[in-house]
Amino acid sequence: MSDATPSGEWSRSADARRQYNLVGGIILAVAALGLFVWSFWVNNPVPLPVRSSIIIFFAVGIAISAGLLRVQNPQDVYGGMALILLSLTALVASNDLPGMRGFAFGPGTAPRLFAFLLAILSLGVVVVGFLKRGPDITGYKIQGVVFIIGSILAFAACIRPLGLVIASFATVVICAAAAEDGKWRETLIVAIVITIFCSFLFPYGLNLPFQLWPRFW
Amino acid sequence: MHDLIANLWLGMSVAFTFTNVSLCLIGALVGTLIGVLPGIGSLATIAMLLPITFGLPPVGALIMLAGIYYGAQYGGSTTSILVNIPGESSSVVTCLDGHEMAKQGRAGPALAIAAIGSFFAGCVATVLVAALGAPLTAMALLFGPAEYFSLMVLGLIFAVVLAKGSVLKALTMILTGLLLSMIGSDLETGAERMTWGVPELSDGIGFVVVGMGMFGFGEILRNLESPGSREIINTKVTGLMPTLPDLKASAGAIGRGTVIGSLLGILPGGGAIIASFAAYTLEKKVSKNPLRFGRGAIEGVAAPEAANNAAAQTSFIPLLTLGIPPNPVMALMVGAMTIHGIVPGPQVMTKQPELFWGMIASMWLGNLMLIVINLPLVGMWVRLLRVPYRHLFPMIVIFCCIGVYSLNNAPFDVSLTAIFGVVGYWLVKHDFEPAPMILGFVLGPLMEENLRRAMLIARGDATVFLTRPISGTLLAIAFVMLALAVLPSLRAKREEVFTE
Repeated sequence: MSDATPSGEWSRSADARRQYNLVGGIILAVAALGLFVWSFWVNNPVPLPVRSSIIIFFAVGIAISAGLLRVQNPQDVYGGMALILLSLTALVASNDLPGMRGFAFGPGTAPRLFAFLLAILSLGVVVVGFLKRGPDITGYKIQGVVFIIGSILAFAACIRPLGLVIASFATVVICAAAAEDGKWRETLIVAIVITIFCSFLFPYGLNLPFQLWPRFW
Repeated sequence: MHDLIANLWLGMSVAFTFTNVSLCLIGALVGTLIGVLPGIGSLATIAMLLPITFGLPPVGALIMLAGIYYGAQYGGSTTSILVNIPGESSSVVTCLDGHEMAKQGRAGPALAIAAIGSFFAGCVATVLVAALGAPLTAMALLFGPAEYFSLMVLGLIFAVVLAKGSVLKALTMILTGLLLSMIGSDLETGAERMTWGVPELSDGIGFVVVGMGMFGFGEILRNLESPGSREIINTKVTGLMPTLPDLKASAGAIGRGTVIGSLLGILPGGGAIIASFAAYTLEKKVSKNPLRFGRGAIEGVAAPEAANNAAAQTSFIPLLTLGIPPNPVMALMVGAMTIHGIVPGPQVMTKQPELFWGMIASMWLGNLMLIVINLPLVGMWVRLLRVPYRHLFPMIVIFCCIGVYSLNNAPFDVSLTAIFGVVGYWLVKHDFEPAPMILGFVLGPLMEENLRRAMLIARGDATVFLTRPISGTLLAIAFVMLALAVLPSLRAKREEVFTE
């Protein structure tokens, strides 16, 4: 599944890595800060261990960005930190749910149990990432992410008010912009073909309740 | 024995009606069509095609889905052989010798032997599913909540052990899946859990949303990163039929592959991938001339193809008898069954025998279809592979969008899928496997329910999981598996298998 080089060699220069950690650490710290502030907004007081974990998380983030902690395996460190953040968020979010009543589970018991276990295991991943050298995270393809995600969101936004024809045409055109070797004329032809195909297949061929055109009339 | 034949007869009589045969045919055809497109595995294929089964009666819908499943699987091996791109993880091994054969101008025999091997394995596995169905269902009656919980723990541990990469990271993925599955209303009290007041989340996150996001959109994002060179075999595919020596050479390989695949497929936790690897390794070991492997040995195609098809089929056993999906694809089947008002589990067999046996018979029928439709259509699949990726992925995206939207007619679901697409991409970037997470996500609610019940029955005594014999044994196996996977000596061996 992974494209990472198994050799564990770092592919970035020392400067680039420092910058990556600077930004990455700040993102982690800011997210922790946001979670901390939010933990005062929820109804029940969040227990002290959770709050102090958030503070420690914040400190680790700062330490990473300042270069005090040497990130040996960025994949493990950032991956594990993100999962810890997820479990802390879950602990805060499930805080107001009632827990055990006698020996019966409450609605909050299982989520907190899973979140707690996730935090412990993710901590293991992070610690390993600080100790054992591993490959750098290869660069993200921003163009792909922006246009693909944009096209999906466009579909979600258009399908109700504008109908299937416009939604699918818009989605295909936006989506095609994600490719580097795209040509406009080709894209338009493909989009028209796909749109016609979809507007016949789903409402007529499969009898699914799709509205084809905008609801003006 | 007599029962078995009577039951299979019932199944055949259901499966061989005109509508069901044509549904099976359409399913296998469309499944192959989508499966051939590089970069879409069987999970995304089934998720994408789920809406086309909505209008059908339950039996027909399941028969068609099963057809799609085998079709997608077979389509995956076609791309492995012709383009050297595994359509999905279970056909990675087929690339090694299959593509080599294609380069030598023997793409036809390679495709044919893959189909023949799959068909043979499918026949054996069908009988196996039919034979094991009844006794396992009887065993399911011995299972209480504690046993179900332990069985699911075992399944998740298997998924970790059989996945490649770090055991620790796979465990975190499972817990992430479990945690995400907790979002939504609590089953017993109806309390809203971690929904942030979003009404659309009170029903929980749909499995298709997560699966499609992580495996459909996530894959596209990853494929865009490395368009890569697709070297399609340019020589015409001629001489489909394998020669007599070919058949002789692969007969044993198909037999061994079928046995390995059937055994590993029953295990929960994604047996199909490990089955194909194991079958390939075994062939190499028993071969008189191991050096031929990787240079176009026909056994290297026959064995893994037989194994992964057998495993794909026997993985229906835990689903149909215990109601526990052993892998993400089966989890999707659970979703499909639920849409049609069927609760998978031991009661399906007693309450709806025509559904259970009809589906089993259709498995065999689906394999037969594949061999009939695929060999003549190889030329068409090759042409399809020449369509550039920049035209393919918009099509995949729009189909996925329509598929997800049509489940609930909810635009919110579509947006959520986009988010999971990014999550999937991010996970792969950080070397986390999405498959264990999906499995955790599916089993989450079931596990919680059984854990709660078991604890309630035992009056809060957590040792019940260890003191009840079946449950204790299952947990002990899980523990041993995990311990073995973490032990350094075995870990080295495991990596060796995956790097081959």
